[in-house]
Amino acid sequence: MWKKEDAKSPAVAENSSAASAFGKSQSFDSSNSFSDSPRAAASIGQGIRIKGEVSGTEDLFVDGFVEGKLNLAADCSLTIGPNGIIKADLVAREIIVRGKVEGKVVARDKLQIGSTGEINGEVQTGRLAIEDGATLRGKVEAGRMETAKTAPAYAGSSAAKTSPQPSSLKAGTAAD
Amino acid sequence: MRREVPGPIHLTSRSRTPGAPPPPQAGATRAQVPQESNRLSNGLKELLWNLDGLERGTLLDMGPASQTTLSFFIERGFRVSSEDILRSWKNFLNEEEARLKQGFASGETLEMTPSARAARFMKENLQYPRSSFDAVLLWDLLDYLEQAVVKQVVASLTELLRPSGVVFAMFHTKKPEGFQRYRVVDSTALQVVPTAVICPAQRVYQNREIQDLFGRYRTMKSFIGRDQLRETLFIK
Repeated sequence: MWKKEDAKSPAVAENSSAASAFGKSQSFDSSNSFSDSPRAAASIGQGIRIKGEVSGTEDLFVDGFVEGKLNLAADCSLTIGPNGIIKADLVAREIIVRGKVEGKVVARDKLQIGSTGEINGEVQTGRLAIEDGATLRGKVEAGRMETAKTAPAYAGSSAAKTSPQPSSLKAGTAAD
Repeated sequence: MRREVPGPIHLTSRSRTPGAPPPPQAGATRAQVPQESNRLSNGLKELLWNLDGLERGTLLDMGPASQTTLSFFIERGFRVSSEDILRSWKNFLNEEEARLKQGFASGETLEMTPSARAARFMKENLQYPRSSFDAVLLWDLLDYLEQAVVKQVVASLTELLRPSGVVFAMFHTKKPEGFQRYRVVDSTALQVVPTAVICPAQRVYQNREIQDLFGRYRTMKSFIGRDQLRETLFIK
């Protein structure tokens, strides 16, 4: 039960660190955020339109139009450029939005919305950073997101356990 | 031995606070850039007091998405929904204008009475199931919306709130000159952020009009600030 003066929960500490890590003092890097990445990012340029499902196992930069579904592997980042228009549900480890997104956004680790970014849809993320001027319309669920892990199989124990998801990350409407 | 040569007297004659912006150059306009400032908020304190004890509250923030405000409530276990109703209204007006031009060209008619327009706006906005929220941050947005829209927004919020839910609203006691947004800094203070005008202020509501608007709420509590801003809590 929340009391005004209660100490912060672990999720609080997580969010606090997120806020400080992506706070106003550290503005978004306007250049491609993958410049430091050891992997080269694949890219969907401004003039490209894709309808359907896009999935992949490497970082992706989208500055074009995607309609359908966009799902990247657990360790991949997705950046929506300022010209990007996405009408799709997005799933990636880290998502940076500087364009327009319409759909559910699931960023397992963190979600950054730049000043030109617009999200119209539900958001689920471990950490959230919003720059001034960003537009966000929808339900926000922020907190530690645990991915399903397979426990080592010991003799006599059940083979695999799925780590429980916190109630805050259950999908649903604002009413649930 | 080197000797420091003093700079021109016009640069040294006035002391300046370290970090202060440089003085304006000759001929430059003296337009003052409004600064962000913090204000103590008894309304916010009262809102949080009312929400005290909620295990997993749900909150609708009708202002612009703000890192500090969202973090503040998420850290306290709230599930937050964000919908910048004023920005949506502005976009809607632009779309209406475009629709009107198209309709004029194609000979179609579009009912342009305030109530019809408000009804069209509400079809696309605040679409949540009934009793979705424990609290709504309405800020001072009613001062900037057309009256027909205001009535429908308040009616819609009443449906969206759970019993004992709280609306935190602000009303200007004089027509505001500028336009400002608000962020929750901590449990006692709001940050006031002057921004470019999205929609001009429509009117100043008198106490009686506010009571009539929120007539379906059981409690209304107001705090009048020195900055011509009245913070009001409505409890359903």
